[in-house]
Amino acid sequence: MIARSQRERLLEAAVRVVAEKGYGAATVADLTREAGISRTTFYAMFDDKEACFLAAYDNVAEALMRRVAKAYEGEERWPDRARAGLAALLGALAEEPAIARLALVDVGAAGPAAQRRYRAALQRLTPLFEEGRDFAPGGRSLPANTSRMAIGAVAGLIADELAEGRAEYLPGLLSDLLFATLVPYIGPAAATREVGGNE
Amino acid sequence: MAPNSPHQSNASAAPPNDLGAVIEQERLPAGREALPEPLVAHSQRERILNSMARSCAAKGYGATTIADVCEPAGVSRATFYELFKDKEDCFHAAMELALAEAMGRIVAVYSPDKPWAAMVRDAAATFLELLATRPGFARMALVEAPSSGQRAFELYASGKRVLQSLLERGRDDPVEEQAIPSSAGRAALSAAESLIVGQILAGNTARLGELLPDIVYITMVPYLGQEEALRQAREAERAVAPTDG
Repeated sequence: MIARSQRERLLEAAVRVVAEKGYGAATVADLTREAGISRTTFYAMFDDKEACFLAAYDNVAEALMRRVAKAYEGEERWPDRARAGLAALLGALAEEPAIARLALVDVGAAGPAAQRRYRAALQRLTPLFEEGRDFAPGGRSLPANTSRMAIGAVAGLIADELAEGRAEYLPGLLSDLLFATLVPYIGPAAATREVGGNE
Repeated sequence: MAPNSPHQSNASAAPPNDLGAVIEQERLPAGREALPEPLVAHSQRERILNSMARSCAAKGYGATTIADVCEPAGVSRATFYELFKDKEDCFHAAMELALAEAMGRIVAVYSPDKPWAAMVRDAAATFLELLATRPGFARMALVEAPSSGQRAFELYASGKRVLQSLLERGRDDPVEEQAIPSSAGRAALSAAESLIVGQILAGNTARLGELLPDIVYITMVPYLGQEEALRQAREAERAVAPTDG
């Protein structure tokens, strides 16, 4: 039990340190100091800074996914589910700007393994987007990569905002993100109606 | 701290249908369309820049050392430091040269007489072809530059703004203002970029051309609607159908 809580403290500390100093500048010493653990304890759990960061990253992604999925499943129609999921995502990211930047912007600087982790985290959204195929009248004839691209559009718009230090304005992106999500599945006219319909 | 806005300085002062002016506004070096493939390295400097691009493709910018750059280029460390301040400076110069060439080719595709859809398709095909045949550039421009320091990020962002202008401007019918969000073009580019980067990271850079139909669809659907975007994608698919078999 003690080992488990030390691990959790360390993962939370890793997120804070990397968010504050950047991945490149953060050292194992920074992580152990912030977490209040010894170097020996650190190396008993992780091989290096990268392994620790990747575990911390997975934690953050997991927590975000849970919030998104919960909001998404609370609605019936796919466009409403998408809206609820996106709103939950934006809310969670706006609450913790440092974590948001880490999850969507700084992750690129942490090396190829981290970039693959980031993409894997995004791909966990695939089933939620793919429901758009069943909802859309011509869903089956859409390109196989439709969900990947729609997810990329959403992540890109959020990252642009975060890169400018505008985390607190993220909830204002909801309409744009909803349009970007819906348009490949149901086209611009229907997407515009859905975006406007519930405002 | 925050990098330059990728979307707020949207080259709005350039007249429509003048991509050259947009590029000039982004202060990118003039295009070098005529460069043979691979880039002929006449000078030590160009050999170093090519070497940097190749090392980025092989092991990434972070893991690249000065020795990785110097040895294949056949230059000494002393020569390297005569030409470049440090690794980042060299990366920036390599990215600048490659980007100038890419933008030169994209501009060559652009013509005010060409229908918008044909132009977008040709630009996408040109870009994918360039990335597929130059894995060093692909990796540098789309994987490394966005996360390798402020200067490289700014180059990356300026290249993206040019592509965004190409997508948003020069529509035959100045967007019959379907009340689509102003971010629709930027979103579509991010969608395409994400798909491309996924393929690069998966080691499929040489097959990027196969993405053309999907990229045609995602960039056109906000403007043309699903039916026409799917038609354009099918047409693009015929164009990229294997001809070597």
